[in-house]
Amino acid sequence: MLLIHRSPRAANAVQTVSPSGEMFVASVVIFMILASFADAIDPAVFGEAVPPEFGLFDFGDEFSVLGMCHWNLLQFVTAGSLLSGAVFILRVGGSRAYKVLRSASRRAIDKVPI
Amino acid sequence: MESQLFSAASLSALLAIVLIDLVLAGDNALVIGLAARNLPRQAQRKVIFWGTFVAIAVRAFMAILVVYILALPGFMLAGAIALVWIARKLLTPEPDAASNQPAVVPAASFAVALRTIVIADAIMGIDNVLGIGGVAAGSILLIVLGLAISVPIIVWGSHLVIRLVDRFPSIILLGGAVLGWTAYSMIAREPLLAPWLADHTAAKLVIAILVFSIALAPWYSARLSEDRKPLVVLLPALLVWLLGFEVAAGIWNIEVRYLRAAQTGEYLFQAARWLGWLPLAVAFL
Repeated sequence: MLLIHRSPRAANAVQTVSPSGEMFVASVVIFMILASFADAIDPAVFGEAVPPEFGLFDFGDEFSVLGMCHWNLLQFVTAGSLLSGAVFILRVGGSRAYKVLRSASRRAIDKVPI
Repeated sequence: MESQLFSAASLSALLAIVLIDLVLAGDNALVIGLAARNLPRQAQRKVIFWGTFVAIAVRAFMAILVVYILALPGFMLAGAIALVWIARKLLTPEPDAASNQPAVVPAASFAVALRTIVIADAIMGIDNVLGIGGVAAGSILLIVLGLAISVPIIVWGSHLVIRLVDRFPSIILLGGAVLGWTAYSMIAREPLLAPWLADHTAAKLVIAILVFSIALAPWYSARLSEDRKPLVVLLPALLVWLLGFEVAAGIWNIEVRYLRAAQTGEYLFQAARWLGWLPLAVAFL
């Protein structure tokens, strides 16, 4: 029996996770996949001993991808936090902007007669 | 040595070891409590102390053994496949998990209680040591440090761990993602595959997405509507299809980059590679 199974919320993490927590882990996974993209690049392609931290890479003349070279878990977690934070701010800011821009109902009390 | 230990890469590996240890930790405190409950109070204290000590020693021994086993050709790949399965199992919802108590018979003597604890810990810790063995990449110092940090937390601070994962279930998802990433890293490091992967760079991308698509399937399938559930099978199957063509191209020496295809056979091969899976997908649906 796993220790985490003593918590019903943790035993059903995929159903009980909060949207922000889910966004954070999804961001971390995205960065992990991007890191695996750059992992497949030969440093000799760049003519440098150490490849750049991140950049657009071309795979066998077929497609280009954004990738990060040799990122570790701390970088994944930091980048994931920043990305999920940015998405959260955009979502909150966007919904507020939408509310402000949306015209009030004709019968609303605070409708200013023009 | 010291500067290496405090490098970002080492601290990251240590963080991954502690995270894997916490999310895959067995309920040691419960096992020790159940094994020692029929003993006199004085003997119970001895069992708790020595049970914890032996649990750490057994875990460290098993983890070091795993490091040496993973160095053998083929075992890294086998370990990676096992880790993908462990990640899937970790993320699969278990509504009745809390009611499943470990089947531990109360011991009649100190020696029997200690033996019960050692066996239970060894069985519960197999998935755990495989994960930390994969993350440590051969560093025994990292394994010992990781266990020295996490095992006392698990044994004496189990309530803290439970409260933490109860408040933030995303830690479990992060644990699953780290296990997937570790599995991918193990496949990339497999000595039997290394020469082939060096020649087929695109295969690494396919393997990475394949690993995550299988390991994290319980997570994203919970977000899919019923009519889109077949994606959980179709996505990994499509990736295996593409990987199969990479392998076939290597065996029969065929050009797999479509922009460089020059002969009719190569164009047919490309057509089968990119479109051949469609009839199979339709038949599956």
